[in-house]
Amino acid sequence: MTLRSDHVAGIFFVALGLLVFALSGDLPFGTLSSPGAGMMPKLMAGLMIAFAVMIIITANTSRPFIEIDWSDRWHAILVASTTAIAIFAYQKVGFLITMSFLVFTLLVLVERRNALIAAVYSIALTLFAYWLFGKALKAPLERGFLWF
Amino acid sequence: MEDVLNSLLLGFSVALRPDVLWFAFIGCLVGTLVGMLPGLGPLAGISILLPLTFGLDATRAIVMLAGIYYGSQYGGSTTSILLRIPGEAASVMTCIDGNAMAKKGRAGAALCIAGMGSFIAGTFGVIMLTLLAPPLAAFALGFGPPEYTALLVLGLIFLAYMSTTSLIRTLLMASLGLVLGTVGIDVMTGHFRFAFGISELGDGIGIVPVAVGLFGLGELLATPSRQVKGGVTAPRLRELLPTRQEWRESALPIARGSVLGFFIGIIPGSAHIISSFISYALERRLSRQPDEFGKGAVAGVAGPEAANNAASTGAFVPMLALGLPTGPVIAVLMAALLIHGIPPGPTLVNDHPDVFWGFVASMYVGNVMLLLLNLPLVGVFVNLLRIPYAYLYPMIIMFCVIGVYEVNHSIIDVWIMLIFGIVGYGLKKFGFDPAPLVLGLVIAPIFEMSLRQSLIMSNGTWHIFLERPIALTLLLVSVGLLALAAISAATRDWRGKLAEAEKTSE
Repeated sequence: MTLRSDHVAGIFFVALGLLVFALSGDLPFGTLSSPGAGMMPKLMAGLMIAFAVMIIITANTSRPFIEIDWSDRWHAILVASTTAIAIFAYQKVGFLITMSFLVFTLLVLVERRNALIAAVYSIALTLFAYWLFGKALKAPLERGFLWF
Repeated sequence: MEDVLNSLLLGFSVALRPDVLWFAFIGCLVGTLVGMLPGLGPLAGISILLPLTFGLDATRAIVMLAGIYYGSQYGGSTTSILLRIPGEAASVMTCIDGNAMAKKGRAGAALCIAGMGSFIAGTFGVIMLTLLAPPLAAFALGFGPPEYTALLVLGLIFLAYMSTTSLIRTLLMASLGLVLGTVGIDVMTGHFRFAFGISELGDGIGIVPVAVGLFGLGELLATPSRQVKGGVTAPRLRELLPTRQEWRESALPIARGSVLGFFIGIIPGSAHIISSFISYALERRLSRQPDEFGKGAVAGVAGPEAANNAASTGAFVPMLALGLPTGPVIAVLMAALLIHGIPPGPTLVNDHPDVFWGFVASMYVGNVMLLLLNLPLVGVFVNLLRIPYAYLYPMIIMFCVIGVYEVNHSIIDVWIMLIFGIVGYGLKKFGFDPAPLVLGLVIAPIFEMSLRQSLIMSNGTWHIFLERPIALTLLLVSVGLLALAAISAATRDWRGKLAEAEKTSE
């Protein structure tokens, strides 16, 4: 049997539904005349599992799993990782350094652009955003340990 | 009728205030730019810019955000015509004949017809909104929890029926959204649900981080810069005027597209996409020269452009009158109103007439503004498309992070955005449409509350939904739609063709 994309997706959503059931174990379902906090999550997780099973049953119409194009995966991984580092650092290091790092790293590491141009662009862009949000719109931006 | 006119006058007194006009202008301008930029649709644009409205009152905030929404429809047609890159799926149909006209040296005329079509359809949509929303809201004032539950069920079934992916896939995504909507404190019992000790999750998962993650970051993760084509030729101002023959050929398609688009727009689902698709098919069928379609037919630009703009306006009717979001963009606009302490729905028109009518009047003004802004300045706007995508997307990611963080000053929200960005990337690979997930998330609190209240009212019997005429009618329509979907599942109907069209836009 060929493993198809809907087999994988369906199994994933069944597992997710079961996880919701497991996590909502301590939430009371209540009764129909007095529904508890667990009623809605359990009903919806049940529906999700039912739909996921239907997707698995009808999976033969979907394309084979190995035909899914993952050629953009390195781009996605690098962008997501860089963003994760920036999110982790944001409150600690502050807006200016974190955002400059984010833009610079994406340009140099992911896009292989000239480091000097990338540095100038990332600093200029971050300063513009700092002025726009922090000064013009008076949105409080994170200062970090360096106080800027 | 006199009441409506008086109320509209009140609306214009609000919409023509210099400060409101300024924010309408900013919204239209930003919307046009958002519509033109690849990888940044109206949903991500509105979500990212939502924090900018926190310092504003509700009227100015909603006027600006709505300006971004319908401005992006105008902007999307520019890239479709000049580059054959649809900013979003609704512009796919414009790509076909709009770009063919551009290749024949009629780019300016195509842009002008698209702009005029959008303007006429948008204005028609606002007139219909003015007439329809207040009586619908008055009718909905009689709704109790059972009617609301049935209405939300119908909304979800309609969404699934109209979706370009399969019914089951859409319902699966909606149920996932409904599960996610249960995260946080249960308002009826005070239980913490799925919060894992994270206090920020007590208020639930926000719509903005989920929407920006799925539609903004997710899209960028799946779009490496090597896949984005560049190069654009800006038309000159004197080339913008269509010939008399082109005007004649576009008049009726614009009229038909406006009516068709508005009524399809009221229905939940990908209304603006569906309306442009149906309008294109209709124009081709009615044309004396159907062979011209695909080779630069004026009607192939005028009809779909009018239809998708009228649909965008039509989508506001259920939101303003019933508090029902028909799509993810409307859901985020609803969230914006809620953030400003104004619940959309039947009470809006009576409780906040200045917001309701000010917003409606601003849409008349916004359409004029967009026409004046888009046509003469198209040459300026297309310069934006010359910025290499490699430099553009880091900027968009930066704005995503700032935008999401500024909503609640919560780093958890930014992590949620990243997680949903990755989820969005995965959903795209497996052919799932994330829009129903966002809708499920938005309606989850209202749905849960009305369902539980209905059951408490009826002392635990489901018969309450069958004993109340409006609720019963709404549920019967839902069952009818499910039956229709089951019948058409075996045949390749218009939805199959629409799905194909959407794929070509990717």
